[in-house]
Amino acid sequence: MTRVVESDVCIIGGGITAAMVAERLAERTSATITVIEAGGRTASLEERAGTRARMLAYGENPFPNDHIPDQTGTGEMYRQMVVGGSAMHWGGAVPRYSPEDFRLRSLYGVGFDWPISFDDIEPYYQEAEERIGVAGEQGPPDCDPRSKPYPMPPLPLSYNLARMREWTERAEVPFWTQPWARNTEPYRGRNVCERCDTCAVCPTGAKYTPDFAFDRLLADGRIGLVDRTLVRRLELEPGSDRIAVAHALDRAAPGDPVEFHAGTFVVAAGHAWSSHLLLLSATGRFPDGLANRTGNLGRYMTGHWYVSGYINLPMRLYPGIFANNSLLSHRFASPGPLDRYLRHDLRLWESGVGRQPRLRDDDGRLLWGDEIMADWRTRTESGATARIRAYYDVIPDGDSRLTLDAARTNSLGDPMPRIDYRAAQATLDLESHTRDTITGRFEHLARAADGTVRSTSGSRLFEHPGGGCRMGDDPATSVVDRWGRTHDHENLFVVGAPTIVSSGCANGTLTFCALSLMAAEEIGREMPA
Amino acid sequence: MGAAPVPLPGETLRAVAEAVLPAELGDDGRERAVAAFERWCEGLEPVAELSHPYLVPETRYSGPDPRPGWAAQLEGLDKECMSRHGVSLAGLDTAGRRKLLEQPLEGAGPGLGSPANGGHVAAALMAHFYSSPVATDLCYGVTIAKQQCRGLEGAGARPAMGAQP
Repeated sequence: MTRVVESDVCIIGGGITAAMVAERLAERTSATITVIEAGGRTASLEERAGTRARMLAYGENPFPNDHIPDQTGTGEMYRQMVVGGSAMHWGGAVPRYSPEDFRLRSLYGVGFDWPISFDDIEPYYQEAEERIGVAGEQGPPDCDPRSKPYPMPPLPLSYNLARMREWTERAEVPFWTQPWARNTEPYRGRNVCERCDTCAVCPTGAKYTPDFAFDRLLADGRIGLVDRTLVRRLELEPGSDRIAVAHALDRAAPGDPVEFHAGTFVVAAGHAWSSHLLLLSATGRFPDGLANRTGNLGRYMTGHWYVSGYINLPMRLYPGIFANNSLLSHRFASPGPLDRYLRHDLRLWESGVGRQPRLRDDDGRLLWGDEIMADWRTRTESGATARIRAYYDVIPDGDSRLTLDAARTNSLGDPMPRIDYRAAQATLDLESHTRDTITGRFEHLARAADGTVRSTSGSRLFEHPGGGCRMGDDPATSVVDRWGRTHDHENLFVVGAPTIVSSGCANGTLTFCALSLMAAEEIGREMPA
Repeated sequence: MGAAPVPLPGETLRAVAEAVLPAELGDDGRERAVAAFERWCEGLEPVAELSHPYLVPETRYSGPDPRPGWAAQLEGLDKECMSRHGVSLAGLDTAGRRKLLEQPLEGAGPGLGSPANGGHVAAALMAHFYSSPVATDLCYGVTIAKQQCRGLEGAGARPAMGAQP
């Protein structure tokens, strides 16, 4: 028997961007809101101390049942499908994109301009920081502009990071504390960070996870949360391009279909599953998928690459106190005029690389008992190691695509997503210049400490990915407008990661949240106050 | 949970520990290290789901149960010792025990890796101890107390001196 759930707004996906939209609409409108999550609930806050202990001892997943075994694709994508989404596991790094990110074509002649400017999104950055609870310190205003202070003071530096910041000041490369979604003061009923150093699973609740927002909204009776329910297809109203129904499967009762009827639908299913659902929803008038009249759906999948390294420092540090804090330089993301395009962030961490206990010495000789400890001490007393990494901007190619993979289906026979990321030729042409320049900056920093670069490596993993439903003013080159509204369906929005134009050179979650809040503002205009 | 874990022969395990763990731990410190390893063994769950690596959509699982193999290795060491030297491993001096362990550890290293990665029980015991907060503090001679929740107070202070095994 078909179950029907009706509401004003139906949000598909139960991660951090869904939490942003639901929370804002619940506070500012009287709309009825349903949130649908394909996954179930995972470890509650009370259970996280226990799962953290097993993660430390055995490497086990601290969030059991956080995915659906056969609901997975090919290519770089998150595994989590759970109430709270991938932001249950996240470290909580929440830098903003820099103003330049939104005007690459205008400023540097590469990539694309966004349909919005930094000034347009700035109030929503602030709102996202306040909803999440961000602890941070403002960088130089020309590189890191903001209209209001961070909601909380920054995480204090450990002894190790304080010594490392002194070193970077000698190199005249200023660093600031990374902004974090971790409380340095009691905030919205959550605890203060206790530097447990396992931020992937925070046992105190000091790190923001979206389940906190959902639980509060549920307790207030402001949303309905339907979990373990997989939306498989959106259906149009007869004779209209409006969305009428989301067809879903209750995973606990697979024989009983569920229909979600709503006036407005919001796809908040992350960078992979949002495009995937729209492609799966192909119909007669939209044979290539909903919101895909111009063929842009699933294209311009984006992310950033990095160069990383380890630097030997002639100083005594004590790694292990709070390795989950780091320093961030904004300078190279806002470089001013450039002959050749290159923008990147720069992050520094304490590290034990090269200074761990070992079973064999450099000659391969087996070490026993006190020899291991003596060898370990020698390598920790002679210096310390810093980890350094630069995310750099990668211009996505139009053929960087998410498609339906007929060769890989779930148990229902639905094809799963396949992402084949591709950087634009402009990025490939600049790759050796990029790597050489960044490596040179590592060496400059090392020299300032009389240290040496121990090793460097590059990665082409598309980190903090997004795209597939990119925003734009022109329907010929984009899927949604600046508010996340699809060009083809007036009551269908896509929010967060899928809508970004490029990934910049900073972690993306805060930007995904800010964009979701922009969409919520637009959606709210059509809702009862 | 699966079947009850196979207990490791305690006397032989302690004889191995005396050969491979630092003497500066002393008898009490070494016993605490061995007891911690035994508790870790008791709690180990084979083929458990592991933490997801970043942006990897496939699920990873830990390996099969290493404990029966470790128990057999310890029993084998004792038998070999008895056969070669006419005494149990516990009755052999440290140099003799290390000589017996050289061959089983031939493929191990250079790093210590994770204790759950299978291999030889002596390597697992060492990996367990050297990844512990106790070992880190002993190495650095200060109280780092890694993985311990500690609040934000005094975050910038140098760790206190004087860690004891």
